[in-house]
Order: sequence, then structure tokens, then C-alpha cells
Amino acid sequence: MDWNGVATHSRSAEKWKAFVEARQKDLGSFLQFDPVLGCVDSSPEGPLAGVPFAVKDNIAVRGFRLTCGSRMLRDFVSPYSATVIEKLLKAGGVVAGKTNLDEFGMGSSTENSALMETKNPWDLRRVPGGSSGGSAAAVASGQAAFGLGSDTGGSVRQPAAFCGVYGLKPTWGAVSRYGLVAYASSLEGIGVMAKTVDMTETVFSLIRGQDPRDHSSLPWQPPAMKKGPWRIGVPRECADVPMHADVKKTLEKTRGLLRQLGHDVQDVSFPTLDHVVSSYYVIATAEASANLARFDGVRYGHRTRRADTPEAMMVASRTEGLGPEVKLRILLGTYVLRSGFQDEYYLRAQKIRTAIRMDFQKAFEGVDLVLMPVYPVPPFERGSAEADPFSQKLADIFTCAANLAGLPALSFPAAVEAGLPIGMQFLAPPFAEELLFGACRQVEKVFPSPDAPGFPAGWR
Amino acid sequence: MDASELAVTARMARLTLSEQEQEKLGTAVEQMLAHFSHMKEIDVQGLAPTTHALLKENRLREDVENHADVSEKLLENAPEREERFIVIPNVL
Repeated sequence: MDWNGVATHSRSAEKWKAFVEARQKDLGSFLQFDPVLGCVDSSPEGPLAGVPFAVKDNIAVRGFRLTCGSRMLRDFVSPYSATVIEKLLKAGGVVAGKTNLDEFGMGSSTENSALMETKNPWDLRRVPGGSSGGSAAAVASGQAAFGLGSDTGGSVRQPAAFCGVYGLKPTWGAVSRYGLVAYASSLEGIGVMAKTVDMTETVFSLIRGQDPRDHSSLPWQPPAMKKGPWRIGVPRECADVPMHADVKKTLEKTRGLLRQLGHDVQDVSFPTLDHVVSSYYVIATAEASANLARFDGVRYGHRTRRADTPEAMMVASRTEGLGPEVKLRILLGTYVLRSGFQDEYYLRAQKIRTAIRMDFQKAFEGVDLVLMPVYPVPPFERGSAEADPFSQKLADIFTCAANLAGLPALSFPAAVEAGLPIGMQFLAPPFAEELLFGACRQVEKVFPSPDAPGFPAGWR
Repeated sequence: MDASELAVTARMARLTLSEQEQEKLGTAVEQMLAHFSHMKEIDVQGLAPTTHALLKENRLREDVENHADVSEKLLENAPEREERFIVIPNVL
């Protein structure tokens, strides 16, 4: 679909806005939809001229609210824009609005948002995945040309897979995080969701690069692109992870397709796979407990109505403003960092993180790419008992490894089974995003992103 | 984790837990800690901890003036203010 000028040419803009507003009633993808405000700083020319995009509501856009899906920040209005937003506006893009998410990015279903319920465009009883579920639903339903999300342990790739679109988690540091509300700084980054590999790559090439305002951002330093056929490794330990039959089937189907395309698909060893979830949750919650200490009701955000001392005000404001999953992660993170427990949890998790990195280094000596499922089960129903918060955490096993190792990973639609999209992902060495796009483009020629029910034909 | 450990942790995190939360969050924390205990099975001897996978060094920006001019907008987000000051309950 051609998205150029859709948000700025009056005829297509009216048609598009009416469509978004109608779909919003079923899907709940946007927390704030305001393309007029989103046009304010947009350049009239550029590769994205008039292209509307969706922004996860933990990324700052000047003049828009920045709620993070939390009561704590329900009324917060951002005084500035994130670097990625400035770059996309300069390229002509238009911010369609801010999308729903699990509170502060903590979750895999967007059910942890304190502000809205978001549904999967493929089946309204099911979750869109998370935490960037609103952006994924917006892109998959045709409400926006592409979406921005953040990926701390799979929060771009998993909702992209649940909604049948592409989801890129770039190399750690490749994209500036200035203007992204921090959750777990050593793991997270801003990523892209789109219906095509081309759009995903275009957006990534516009937002990447070192930023003087983010001291953790890194210069773009791609390795020489290796021409295919490629050697693609599938960790043999994936077979030990309990997986839904449709996901297993899709993994085999993808393995077969890649062989047909002439690639050398082989088993690789990833002995630490069993420990990635523990290592990830110790590190992520430890960092979260520090990063979320800033929400104290003093300078911004929710402040309690009743408190006699500054200390009591902070405690009551946090207690009232933060949701249960956020409290759980802060408590866990605080616990693993307590003196006396640090060696057992935090330090040990960081050492396991080293072992995970070494596993990948070893794998990439023998293969160019690693192939894994994105999530062990297809999109699940809201409130389903098999997908309780603990099971959802265990299910991050295939996605959070890339975050621990800082690697780029791209999830792609690989099948539709029982009316639901199933995604797979490629992982590559640092800064080898081009290789991810190359491999996904080959799969895309055979199996493009499937259109969700009700996907629009166009805007002309 | 027993109730008193949970209470100490909550105090450090500047949170108050209702009785219901104590039970629910206490169970959830316990479940995660039990999962974390599997980390003991892996031999980490000789491994250096990774704090960041790719960050090699600290980087300083150029010492140049920057007029972001957002202070008024930032203050507009304050829950309670008097002119350029943010109001909090009495400290003493």
C-alpha cells in the first residue's frame, strides 16, 4: 500500500482518519490520536512525506501526552520530542498518535496497561501481544504505515509476530534512546514495526546513528554484507522448550523454506538458553527498580492528595500511581539488589549474561544468522489461564536472549495457522541489520505479511 | 520470602502493600525467586560479569551551550507549584 501523502492530502487524509477512528472503537490501539498535532513539526518533503506513523506511548513527542500506560503519568505532556521522532518528522513523517502498551513496557499482552484495553486485529478476543501491542495493532490493522516500539525483552518482536507484521529490535545502541522513558537501560532499545521489509528498513535507516544527547548510543558500524546463500543456525535446545504445535510446525516449515531458497540450515548449540529468562528478569527488574525510583510525585506525575511529610507523599504517590506488575518488578529488583543477596542474584545473572554472549559468539563463528521462534504459543485470549503473568515471563525465552547479548533481531510473519499469524525471528551479529533485512526479504517474496481482517485497500 | 522480608523490601522501594497485595505480590515474588534459584546450576567460575553487552567506554559530549528552553514546560507538569518553585509538604 502506498502511504505517501496519506496524512497530508486532504482527500486521503479524511478517508484515513475516518478509518482509524472507526477501527479504534474495536481495537483500542491508540491512547491519543491526533494527526493535526502530529503534523506540527513535520517537514513537507522527504522520503516519508505525509506518511502517518504510530508511536508507543513511552516515547516522547512534543505536545502529546507521555503516559507509559500508567496512572502515574496519565496527564503528563511531553515538553520535547525524542531524537527518533525529530528524525522521522524531518523526513516528512506525521505522528498519527500515541499507542497503548503494558505499563512502562512491562508485559507481553498489553493487558497491563492501566488506561485502555487493546485487541488483536486478527481476533478481537485475543491480545495483540506486548508490550508494544498498540503499535502492532495499529500497523496490522492499517491504521498507520509503521509503528515505533521499544524492545527490552521482546516487546517489539512479539507483538509484531502476534499481529502478523515485521518487528525489528536493532543492535543495542544503534538507535538513540533520548526521549524513551527508561525501564532497563542495558537491555532496551527503540524498534520498528511495519507491513513490509522495505518500510522497516527505510525507517531504521532514518533513525539509526549516534546521538550527542544519548551517551549510550553507538556510531553506525555495519560489517561488510555477506552475499547469500547464508548459513543459518537453529539452536538445538529450542526443541526442549515446551511449544504449541502450530509454532513447532511453523519453525519446521521455515527451516524447509530456507533450505529451498538455497541456504545451509544447520543445528547450532545454545546451552545457556535454559537460563536466559532468569538472567533477564534479575537484570531487568534490578534496572527497573532504579529507573522507576524517579516516579515519586514530586516534580511530575501522580501526587497523592493526602500526605503530611515528603516521605509519606512519595510512598503514597507511588503506591497509588503504579500498577501491580510494575510493583512486582520493582519489589523483585529491589530484593535482588539488597546487600547480602547481590552475589546470589544480580552478580550471578550478569555472569550468566557473559556465558550467553559467548554462546552467540561461538554460534556466529559457524553461521551467519540464527533462526528461532518468537514466542512459544500463538496469540492467546485475554485473561486466559494458560497465559498467567508467570507463564508469560517464562515465554520470553526466545526473545530476551537478543537483548542480553545486545544483538539485532527481526521477527517476520511465517505462517497463519487456525486464523492466527505465527512469527519467527532471525538474529545477527552486532550491526548486521542489513543481513536481517536481506534474509527476511527472501522469505517475504514467498510469504508476505498477511493482511488482517478488515485491512484497507488504500486511501486514494 | 516471608512477610517481614517483603515488608523490608517494600519499604526500600517506597511502596506500601495492602494485605491483599502482600499475599498476591508475595506469592509472585516467591515464584520468581524460585525460578531464579536455577541459576545456581550453571558454573560461572572465571566469567566476568556483563553490565552492558556492547558499551565499551564512557563518552563525554562537547562542552557547548545548549538552549533547550523547556524549563517552563517541565514546570507545567509539576503537581503543585508557586511561580518557579515546586511545592511539597513541610519537611520539618
